Amino acid sequence: MNIIVPIKQVPDLVEELQVDASGKDLDREWLKYKVSEFDDHALEEALLLKEQHGGSVTAIALDGEDIDKALFAASAKGADRVIKVTGDFKGASNHTAAKALANVIKGMPYDLVLTGVQSVEDRDGQIAVLLAHYLGTPHISVVTGVEVAGGKVTVHKEYGGGVVAEFEASLPMVLGIQAARETPRYVPVSRVRQAMRDANLEEVAGDGSGVSAGSSISRMFKPETGGGAEMLSGSAQEIAGKLAAIIKSKM
Amino acid sequence: MDGGRFLYRRVGYERVFIYGFWRRYRKYRRGKDADRFNNLVGRFFKALGAMATNKTVYKRDSYAGAAHWMIFWGFVVLFIGTAIVALDFDILKPVFDQSILVGTFYKWFSLFLDVFGALFIVGLFMMLFRRGKKPPQLDYKRPDLKPEQYDRSGYQKDDKAFLWLLIVIGVTGFLLEGLRIAAEGMPAFEVWSPVGYVLGLMLGGFGPETLHPYVWWFHAIVVLGFIAYIPYSKAMHMLVDYANLMFKDDLAAKRLPKVSPEKMKEGIGYRKIDDFTWKELMDFDACTKCGRCHVACPANASGAPLSPRDLILDLRTYADATIGNGTSEIFQQTFSEGVKAGKGGKISIAGDIIRADTLWACTTCMACVEACPVGIEHLTTIVNLRRTLVDAGTMENSLQDTLANIGDYGNSFGQSDRARAKWTQGLEFKVKDARKEPVKYLWFVGDYASYDPAVQQMTRKVAGIFEKMGLDYGILYESEKNAGNDVRRIGEEGLFEMLVEDNMAAFAKSDFKEIVTTDPHSFNTLKNEYPEFGSSYAVHHYTGLLCKLLDEGKLKFSKKLRHYKVTYHDPCYLGRYNGETEAPRKLLRALGVEFQDMRRCGANSFCCGAGGGRIWMDDSKLEKRPSVQRIEEALEIDGVNLFIVACPKDYTMYTDAVKSSGNEKRLAVRDIIELVEEAM
Repeated sequence: MNIIVPIKQVPDLVEELQVDASGKDLDREWLKYKVSEFDDHALEEALLLKEQHGGSVTAIALDGEDIDKALFAASAKGADRVIKVTGDFKGASNHTAAKALANVIKGMPYDLVLTGVQSVEDRDGQIAVLLAHYLGTPHISVVTGVEVAGGKVTVHKEYGGGVVAEFEASLPMVLGIQAARETPRYVPVSRVRQAMRDANLEEVAGDGSGVSAGSSISRMFKPETGGGAEMLSGSAQEIAGKLAAIIKSKM
Repeated sequence: MDGGRFLYRRVGYERVFIYGFWRRYRKYRRGKDADRFNNLVGRFFKALGAMATNKTVYKRDSYAGAAHWMIFWGFVVLFIGTAIVALDFDILKPVFDQSILVGTFYKWFSLFLDVFGALFIVGLFMMLFRRGKKPPQLDYKRPDLKPEQYDRSGYQKDDKAFLWLLIVIGVTGFLLEGLRIAAEGMPAFEVWSPVGYVLGLMLGGFGPETLHPYVWWFHAIVVLGFIAYIPYSKAMHMLVDYANLMFKDDLAAKRLPKVSPEKMKEGIGYRKIDDFTWKELMDFDACTKCGRCHVACPANASGAPLSPRDLILDLRTYADATIGNGTSEIFQQTFSEGVKAGKGGKISIAGDIIRADTLWACTTCMACVEACPVGIEHLTTIVNLRRTLVDAGTMENSLQDTLANIGDYGNSFGQSDRARAKWTQGLEFKVKDARKEPVKYLWFVGDYASYDPAVQQMTRKVAGIFEKMGLDYGILYESEKNAGNDVRRIGEEGLFEMLVEDNMAAFAKSDFKEIVTTDPHSFNTLKNEYPEFGSSYAVHHYTGLLCKLLDEGKLKFSKKLRHYKVTYHDPCYLGRYNGETEAPRKLLRALGVEFQDMRRCGANSFCCGAGGGRIWMDDSKLEKRPSVQRIEEALEIDGVNLFIVACPKDYTMYTDAVKSSGNEKRLAVRDIIELVEEAM
């Protein structure tokens, strides 16, 4: 079983976030970056599957802030290959990122692609479905459990309201991971440092151009505190009507 | 008498002894190097002193200490005396037709031997009596296993055999003397053997000439049997424990062993029995099961699955089974099949032989190492095994998160490293930046003092008092990282080294002469462990520095705080680890408070339960948290109203314990700095 895990670095929310002068992005000068929590879960699930069924795990990431550190940590945790896709991916949308990743992944043998279902700084939470689209494979997102048996994969997906569905799907496919079965493992610093010295960080040139971003940022601002709350009452239909009127008035 | 046959037998006993001794020696040779051969002469005499005085046995158990002293010196004197008699009787008389055991020398010699012989027997009976009272430290009940999972009756047999063999040897020795004196017709000069003389008077009517050879043979065979028995029993402690004391590291636990670069590469920690050092292997054999560590341990006392005694004994059993050529003792502990099998066939030392929850239960308070009379370094072994768990990522999620936080931000709170000096905001003065201007004292603030909102209040008070006294001090602001004391004791050696490197780099960029800290944990590692990484600064705990300033007249109190009745909790890392018990008490005396120590104080203080990373682990499974036990101990003092601490973690732990045990109205927790501020 060969598993590919696209990961990425996101701003560390431990630091206070500031909007930059353009008003459309974070002021990134003082930002700290860390691996997206969901990607960490995707990697953990991949490592658990490898421990159960053998095979290999490849962590792949688009070039970006501190990405080497993230890939070395993945290697220390047990990823067999770590690949950095080079190119200019600053501010890339999920559409561009998925295209660039898919271009590289296409040329590699794989059974599963596991990635975080979303990240703190993505706009649409569509990275997994976009990857599946460009790779031409089936896809399931918001996954909380993966079991593999005889070329088939059984996937647990969470819905709202506490509903869980179980899917059976055939390989290869892309899964957007919400949570791994176990808490992502701790990797001791000695092993990360060892990986920094010994691991072979492969570099592949990549390109995700030529696709639409799907959405764009018109303004970025901190949540504004409102002047109070208005409770809507009535039947569902009446409330919906009042809501629609309010939204229209603000547009 | 058939001298030839006796001689043959005697040689047989010796062979059994030598073989047993050699087997043990061969076992230790399998261990890794331990770097304990420096200052051999000093080590030799220091251990000799400890052995001759029995002071490590006497410490905190004067009854056992006195009894042991009598047995020890009785044994030594009788051994030497018997050797002199043998020399006189078997060599000097038949070969040279000479005797030294005549005249005045013989009289004093006889008296001396009789007195020590009597002490020997009295000591043994004192021990027998003590065992009869079943003190808790001699209870073999384990906190981690159910009674049906292990069998310690082997140890009990060994305890009894050792004691009774010595009693039989002592009593038959005296009987023999009495019979001889009676057989010789009670010569007058033999009153110099008072015990033997009295026995002679009593035995005169029982045919002493006939009885003597039988008793002689019996005594001789028991003695020789005992010699053969030594290396296969707890009697081995007579030899191993001297060596163990001699090779003990004075900084054991205070300074943990470094990990070699090769070991860092292949994975930290111990995986096979050969990974242990020869000193650790000797530690396992040195244990006499006196149980002092067992009753001193806060984990054991709070129902956690750890007893330092059982940990050492389990490792002894394992070492014997793997590299000891079977058992080294006649009487062993045994385990049920379930325990022996471990998990999944492949046995791992850290995990199966010693369970992970056992290793994680340790608060690294060092009470075991401090209590051990024979120089066992439990804590080093525990941390070495924890390293294996860390390498495999086997730990609680909360601990894992904390380690990740310390790795990412340099603090255990998971807050931005740039917020480290936020506590200085709102002070009426500016705390100097040691990176930008030269200062005399670098104040190493530490995580809890920097980030914990409750402790920050104390930190600001410390700053205010430093300022008031005109102390030339500064801090490292966001360049300071967690000092790594507890990180190292968790077993995350790579992270510890990273923190040391970062802090040392910040030190190098700053200009200061000495270091002061309020945190005993940081104090310990800065003082004892950083020097191995190149630091050469003098390190002070704030209580020591305040005392010094008090002596110099720079710290002055304007009033006496007579209205408080206080007790003081010695932090493990200050009192036990670093012997600083006087400075805080001196401050309290100068403050004029009414002061009374708790039952356990000074180096014998009882841990709050926070050390060695425990503060970041779940303690909800404990029967009664050590901090709550400690508060109850403080409340044994009549009329006490303040519980004084000198450690940020203690402040957090005890404030919580006082609340959760519902004692808020009776007792308040105060940092000593609060009293200092009040009295200034």
